[in-house]
Amino acid sequence: MNLPGFIIRNAFRNKRRLALSVSSVAASLFLLITLQVALRELTNPISDEGSSLRIIVRNKVSLAQPLPARQLQTLERIPGIVAVSPFSFYGGLYKGDEKFTSFAQFAVDPARTQLLLADAKISKAQTEAWIADQTSCIVGRMTTDRYGLKIGDRMQFTGQIYPCDLELKIAGIYHGTADDRNVIFHQKYLDELLGNPGTVGTWWVRAAFAAEVPLVTERINRAFANTSAEVRAESERAFVLGFVSMWANIKTLIGGISIVVIFALLLVTVSTMSMAIRERFRELAILKALGFRRRELFAFILAESFGLAMGGAIFGAGGAWVVYHLLNIQKLTSGLFIRFEVTPRMMGLAFSVAALLGVLAAIAPMLTVARTSVVQGLKTLD
Amino acid sequence: MAAPENIVTIRNLSKVYAQGEIQVTALDNISLDLAAGEFLALMGPSGSGKSTLLHIIAGIDRPTSGECLVQGVDVTKLNESQLADWRNQNVGFVFQTFNLIPVLTAFENVELPLLLTRLGRAQRRRQVQAALELVGLADRAHHLPKQLSGGQEQRAAIARALVTDPQIVVADEPTGNLDSHSAQDVLGILQSLSRQAGKTVILVTHDPKAAAFGSRSIHLEKGELTR
Repeated sequence: MNLPGFIIRNAFRNKRRLALSVSSVAASLFLLITLQVALRELTNPISDEGSSLRIIVRNKVSLAQPLPARQLQTLERIPGIVAVSPFSFYGGLYKGDEKFTSFAQFAVDPARTQLLLADAKISKAQTEAWIADQTSCIVGRMTTDRYGLKIGDRMQFTGQIYPCDLELKIAGIYHGTADDRNVIFHQKYLDELLGNPGTVGTWWVRAAFAAEVPLVTERINRAFANTSAEVRAESERAFVLGFVSMWANIKTLIGGISIVVIFALLLVTVSTMSMAIRERFRELAILKALGFRRRELFAFILAESFGLAMGGAIFGAGGAWVVYHLLNIQKLTSGLFIRFEVTPRMMGLAFSVAALLGVLAAIAPMLTVARTSVVQGLKTLD
Repeated sequence: MAAPENIVTIRNLSKVYAQGEIQVTALDNISLDLAAGEFLALMGPSGSGKSTLLHIIAGIDRPTSGECLVQGVDVTKLNESQLADWRNQNVGFVFQTFNLIPVLTAFENVELPLLLTRLGRAQRRRQVQAALELVGLADRAHHLPKQLSGGQEQRAAIARALVTDPQIVVADEPTGNLDSHSAQDVLGILQSLSRQAGKTVILVTHDPKAAAFGSRSIHLEKGELTR
């Protein structure tokens, strides 16, 4: 036998309690990682090559306020813009029988979106078919896979924002974008259904160079300053983050929950270690009498506490990594999350929290052992 | 023949406990000499201070005043860390409730004090084996405490006390939890340690029959030596 062996034997003496304690640490760390991944996915929009060039132009008053379609001519004249298209969020319910549709529908000008959709991989024939048929659409592969759709099928939507329903024929299926879920159809079709109101939801703009995006957004904002429809242009990333911020302060909410999780974790670990040491108080006094010094007893307690917390981290953080690596999170969350990646930084966070807990949980028992003399410890014997 | 050398020299030793606002005198100006190889029985009623005296000699408690020289070292002057080392090398403990570590076998329990030394594994094994043989427990070496009888547990505890080859063995009511047969065995072992191995044994007991195994008895009452 050696001292590490002695520590391990002690740690495993109450197997049920050990299993429950490790499980509670593991469950808490699993939850902590889940919250952190969710926060990251919600606040860090997926980006691709094209997204760094794209600019979204919306009404300065509110995203819900439409923009005049006549702004197109002005936009086309702004230097640094290589493509511009209407980009109207339809927001309908698919088939009319779902409470929540996990993919968005956008009305665009197909002839103008070739450069805007540069990341999308779709055959030329399908693109041409889409451009030619005003009632057709192209659909991301994730959505066609999910609903078993194919080219030629029809998709029906019930309007939730606009007072009209849609029936679209699938002309093409695209993939290769950061979010292969959307349905993209003709703005003209939407305009006709609405009686040509002469408005669009937003404008979708592509700058010539990523470095010019700030300058181009500035030019767009200036171009419509002091008009009846002032605009707010921003990069696609800024737009998505702004959209997320409308869900209230989600960062604070998740941060708050994470702190509560860590605090609960601390209580569990401290309680377990206190119990483990309290029931071994007599033995620790005996070890002191046999010649074990405080620092050796501290090392026993710290090693056990640290081991418990790390065991929890291995199962909790490791489990999260394995689970989220294997699960089809998009399917599981009905498309709410496209990916759910446990990053090395999050694993590091979980293990750091566990290490800190291991140390903190050992402090109280160590202080008790330090304060108690051998005789006081032995008095608990008789 | 030369008089045996004193291994324990106690002078004017007092111990006062504070219990709230009340001062309790556990030991009152005790002076005592103990020769090497002596088997001293410390007797007295509960609360007489016999365990306190034993604890001070063994270096697990400190007096309020006075001197306690053990093998020439004033144990009252050592700090916590020095006392721990000193105890490991010089004192073997036997307790009433055995106090073996339940998750370790008899062999491992006996080996425990040796983990603090620089002995190699093979040497530790030899010493543990020798200690277990000395108390007649070699055949039970790999049993857990719960698989041993009370007498066997106490013999394992004695082996643990002896394994570092200390000069002094202190035993606090070692037969208190044993049947008479096992008690005789344990006392016989302690007696042979004194007579044959030359160890100094200090036994705390209420029982005159147990005290009869010692080479000398002293009585304490209200913290004072009475005879």
